[in-house]
Amino acid sequence: MSDRVYEILFIADPNLGEPEVDALTEHIQGFAEKEGGRIQKVEKWGKKRLAYNIRKHQEGYYVLIVVEGKPSLVKEVERRIRVTDGVVKFITVRVDEELRKAEGRRAARARVEAKRKRPATPRPSPAEGEEVPL
Amino acid sequence: MSFGGGGGGGRGGRGGGRDAKGGGARGDKKDAGKRYFFRRRKVCKFCADKIDYVDHKDVKLLSSFVPERGKVLPRRMFGTCAEHQRKLTLAIKRARNIALLPFAAD
Repeated sequence: MSDRVYEILFIADPNLGEPEVDALTEHIQGFAEKEGGRIQKVEKWGKKRLAYNIRKHQEGYYVLIVVEGKPSLVKEVERRIRVTDGVVKFITVRVDEELRKAEGRRAARARVEAKRKRPATPRPSPAEGEEVPL
Repeated sequence: MSFGGGGGGGRGGRGGGRDAKGGGARGDKKDAGKRYFFRRRKVCKFCADKIDYVDHKDVKLLSSFVPERGKVLPRRMFGTCAEHQRKLTLAIKRARNIALLPFAAD
């Protein structure tokens, strides 16, 4: 089984300071790495207003971690996040298949466009040849 | 270069089809009067902008498809194609889960 790519997006307690959020992020990265995951990307979005109150919080620190690993990784990491203080809410989404499909569609469109352009290109070239003597 | 105009020609052709429905008589005033509520055909934004992956993290994009109340609206409102409407709905639901979008605004 090849590994899968997951996006773990979590909201950290807004009462935590910047260094504490960093520590928390590293902590969670550690969970994933311990399960054989490879961190692909970590994005800190900063403090954002929540669309609705969660545990009486009106805002939260958003952090995104993109990790590549086995399905069992998600189970363990999610379990550990649940027992971690300071995480208000989190969501894990598998993205590899959707991104691969998106990549396929982009490639297919590029092929179609290349095909459409090729028959059209011989035409303007003689016109350009005429313009040069002028 | 001239092929860029070809796309516009295609659209013109569609307009011609509409005229044909009116009996083919161009500039017929009675017929023109009946058509006062001609609506521009909506095009799926995701197809037009070539967005292949509808991301639940892209609040800016999603919120343009969600009214103030936070509802998912039917396809006919935005003209999204079936495929993209499905993906949009899923993305909105994921965004709600993580409080990027509201379930119901009050």
